[in-house]
Amino acid sequence: MENQIIIRAGMKRHKGSFLGIGILLFLTALCLTTVLMLSLVGNRYIREEMERAGFGDLTAWVSDLSDEEFLLESIREQDGVESAVPQRLLFSEYEANGMESDSEGQMIPWSPWSGQYRFFQDNLSGYAETPEEIGEEKVYVSPSMKSMMDVEPGDTITFPIARNGQTISLTVAGYYEDPFMGSSMIGMKGFLIAEKTYEKICSVIEETGMDALARDGIMIHMETEDGITVSEISKKLMENTPLSMYTEFIHSADTIAGFMMILQNAFSAILAAFALVLLGVAMAVMGHSITGMVEQEWRNLGVLKTIGFTGKQLAGQLGMQYMTAVGCGALLGMVLALPSAGLISRMTVTTTGILLPVRFPLLPCFGILAVLLLIPGCFCVLRLRGIERIAPMAAIRRESGETSNPGAGSSRHTLRAEGLAFHLALRQVLTGRRRYTSTCLVAVLLVFFASLAGRMNGWLGADGKGMMDAFNPADLDLGVQVLGELRAEDMEQMVLSYTDITDSYMLAMPGVSVNGTNYTANVITEPERFHISRGRTSMEADEVVLTESLAADLGANVGDSVTIRGNQGSGDFTVSGIYHCANDMGANLGMSREGYLSIGEDDSRLWCYHYFLEDPSRKQAITQALEQTWAGDVHVHENSWPGLFGIISAMHTLIFFLYGMSAVFICIVTGMAGTRILDAEQKDMGIYKSIGCSVSMLRISFAFRFGIVAGIGAVIGTLAAMVLTDPVVSAVMRLAGISNFASANTPESLLLPGSIVILLFFGAAWLLSGRLRKEDMNVLTAES
Amino acid sequence: MADTILRGEKITRAFQQGKTETKVLDGIDIHLYEKDFTVIMGPSGAGKSTLLYALSGMDRITGGHVFYRDKKLTGLSEKQMAKLRAEEFGFVFQQIHLVSNLTLLENVLVAGYVSKKDSTEKVRERAANLLRQMDVEEAKDRLPSQVSGGEAQRAAIARAMIGKPGLLFADEPTGALNQANTREVLDLLTDLNRKGQSILMVTHDLRAAARGNRILYLEDGKVCDELVLEPYNEMEEKQRERDVSGWLSGLRW
Repeated sequence: MENQIIIRAGMKRHKGSFLGIGILLFLTALCLTTVLMLSLVGNRYIREEMERAGFGDLTAWVSDLSDEEFLLESIREQDGVESAVPQRLLFSEYEANGMESDSEGQMIPWSPWSGQYRFFQDNLSGYAETPEEIGEEKVYVSPSMKSMMDVEPGDTITFPIARNGQTISLTVAGYYEDPFMGSSMIGMKGFLIAEKTYEKICSVIEETGMDALARDGIMIHMETEDGITVSEISKKLMENTPLSMYTEFIHSADTIAGFMMILQNAFSAILAAFALVLLGVAMAVMGHSITGMVEQEWRNLGVLKTIGFTGKQLAGQLGMQYMTAVGCGALLGMVLALPSAGLISRMTVTTTGILLPVRFPLLPCFGILAVLLLIPGCFCVLRLRGIERIAPMAAIRRESGETSNPGAGSSRHTLRAEGLAFHLALRQVLTGRRRYTSTCLVAVLLVFFASLAGRMNGWLGADGKGMMDAFNPADLDLGVQVLGELRAEDMEQMVLSYTDITDSYMLAMPGVSVNGTNYTANVITEPERFHISRGRTSMEADEVVLTESLAADLGANVGDSVTIRGNQGSGDFTVSGIYHCANDMGANLGMSREGYLSIGEDDSRLWCYHYFLEDPSRKQAITQALEQTWAGDVHVHENSWPGLFGIISAMHTLIFFLYGMSAVFICIVTGMAGTRILDAEQKDMGIYKSIGCSVSMLRISFAFRFGIVAGIGAVIGTLAAMVLTDPVVSAVMRLAGISNFASANTPESLLLPGSIVILLFFGAAWLLSGRLRKEDMNVLTAES
Repeated sequence: MADTILRGEKITRAFQQGKTETKVLDGIDIHLYEKDFTVIMGPSGAGKSTLLYALSGMDRITGGHVFYRDKKLTGLSEKQMAKLRAEEFGFVFQQIHLVSNLTLLENVLVAGYVSKKDSTEKVRERAANLLRQMDVEEAKDRLPSQVSGGEAQRAAIARAMIGKPGLLFADEPTGALNQANTREVLDLLTDLNRKGQSILMVTHDLRAAARGNRILYLEDGKVCDELVLEPYNEMEEKQRERDVSGWLSGLRW
């Protein structure tokens, strides 16, 4: 009972501090649990949905099949293959809202009894009932089409089926959840159409023959036996079946899940790291709070000892008060993570393409709770140990637990008349360092993280150039693929009529197999344009360059030899260097045109002309002119892709969120530290007032203290970000196949995060010091 | 008679405690004159310190008006009051109210800088002179916690004087000092007054009161009586103390 009385009284007396600690833990728990839920549940959900929709362990997209049954049978005959199930589709370019697709779309005939896909409500807030049928003129699309092409129900999507303007226009009837290709990170998009529409298009393709622009094909979903790896199966399929002759692309379930979750996982990693930073901040604040509270309660602790309480009991009582605040904050944060995750899931559905379910992963959440209780618990034990050493009478005699005179023996800063408010602030900071340690630590952590995010944003660039450079094997302003009757010379003349071409090269992206596994080859006419990070480029016909992740997968290094098979034969190639290109999550290689032609067939439709323009601002006009003049015979693309806008906007949202959270934390930290300082300096403030210092001068001086401390923290945080951003972020980016991350030391990246944090601290302290207006000088007249 | 430096008209200070209002100052009319050393005496709880802080603008009054050299203080903004305190008033408190993390010299300097009456150089020079005058030159670079009570209080007087105040307020300046230090501080105040400094001091110490040339007796929130003396002279110290003592006895002190 006596413990309860003391705990209750303590919590009442220091309710501000406990509320602050509770809020910090609440935000940390909310952030950490939300991220964990979205990441873990999201990854699991994608797997479940892929399985439910019948993706298999491996899926091959094939077209131009001469004998479908023969291919399927030959696949099924392979050891390790349990089943191979075909799913019909049609490959076709498409256009919506005036924007042309970058990759071919896949029209998938849908039957109501298949139960394969789930449909969304039009406002994407939840699932709708499965439609009884899809009308002949209708199409269902992934929600990511909204972020990529601003497609909404009622809009029209046009598919060029054959030359001479044979197109089919379908009205968007709604959205469906596509666990294979739904994410805006994946260029290829699925479209659910009616069986009758499918048949109609098939007959047009058949009738138009060579003039057909759309192609029919199938997805072959393959289940494999346990104990056999996907690469082993892939190798067998390439060697023993005719699959390689028809394959557009082949992806394992792991790869597809990786594509689908790439954005969520990347941002989850960043947010989880931020949540850990918040935990660090919370601990720094808590440490400071405990020290301050013990100092404040020093005398009371001495009194309590005189009536028989032991040091252990008193430490336990204080610890219990803290742990109550910690526990309440953490639990509330975890509970509210459910609606928070639901909200984020709904907000991101147009990027992820899936409505991430809101489930509570019990074990990991208990893990988080344990961590959130254990760390502060240990902190309490360490910080409160000193209470046991308090000698009752010594504590009663002394006003506070501070053992040293403020400022004694510390560096003396000379006060000056000019800028007195600043000089007084600097003096206070120098003489009361301990009081500001937690503030400084918090500033270091927040500036470090804000700088890190800012540097990532800087690398990404306003138009996503950083990301595009990561994905493109070589730079370009404009890429044009010439199809059908159009001649390259004519296309080039049209480009030249707008602006001069300063440089050009050609790039093809055929599929090849390396040591038996399928990969995309970036075949280039000027290999010196590859972004090489190690070794040298593949100048000779028998040389290739690999991405870092492919080199790791193959266990190959510069100087090693690999066997590459194309559609005309195979050959041994020497790895001349490591380059960066994040396409297919880095599962690709680069080679010269001569090198590819030694194993593969040349085809004018294979090549894309990449131009550097004298006036890159004419790109839009050139694209429009080419498409208007040659419609289906030309495919134009820039150094961009629709999914990029999703990444850029997500990055901006993340930075906005980081600064928002930082502002909340700064307010709490300043509130807690500042209140304690103002309480302790009540007398000094009265003295300053008595000698004629105005309240506004005292407020500015008080705010300067936090500004100075935040400034020191900002310098350390910025330096830490300068040193640590590249290795830390590169390590995370490599998981997504991006190996070219390098942040720049721009004035913005160096100054902005620190300045914002300093201003936030300054502003919060200034607001807090408003209470000086209300405090009169009675503190000096009271006989103490 | 000398010019009035500070005038209080019907000064009332009441404290609200729940629904009960307690009047500590009850409509006091008071005049303080230039170059006077005025002392306020009275029993405990008479409202001596409250009157001092009410007159100096350190505390809010609930009724009446205060004029400093005909300038009405009641109604001045916080900024205007701060300016007045910096330029015209000096304060010495009973407790050692020096900023704890500033040295004695810095405590004096800050007040000088705030008053903005002189250049930085002149403020430094004057601070050094004042500390020498107050005999704390050797301790000037020490923190308040590292010096004796007497040294700290002398530094506080130096701080009060740095802005060349029109009026020096002293609230029981010797209340927390031992006998030797008390005498030193009183000698300093007397010396300042001789040089023309107007002083208003609250005390319950008869010997301290005897330093003044005008003593007001406060009881139940009202000025009950007044004793006017010749300026202080060391040679007549004992006689003055007897005079004051006799006057106080008449007031049932």
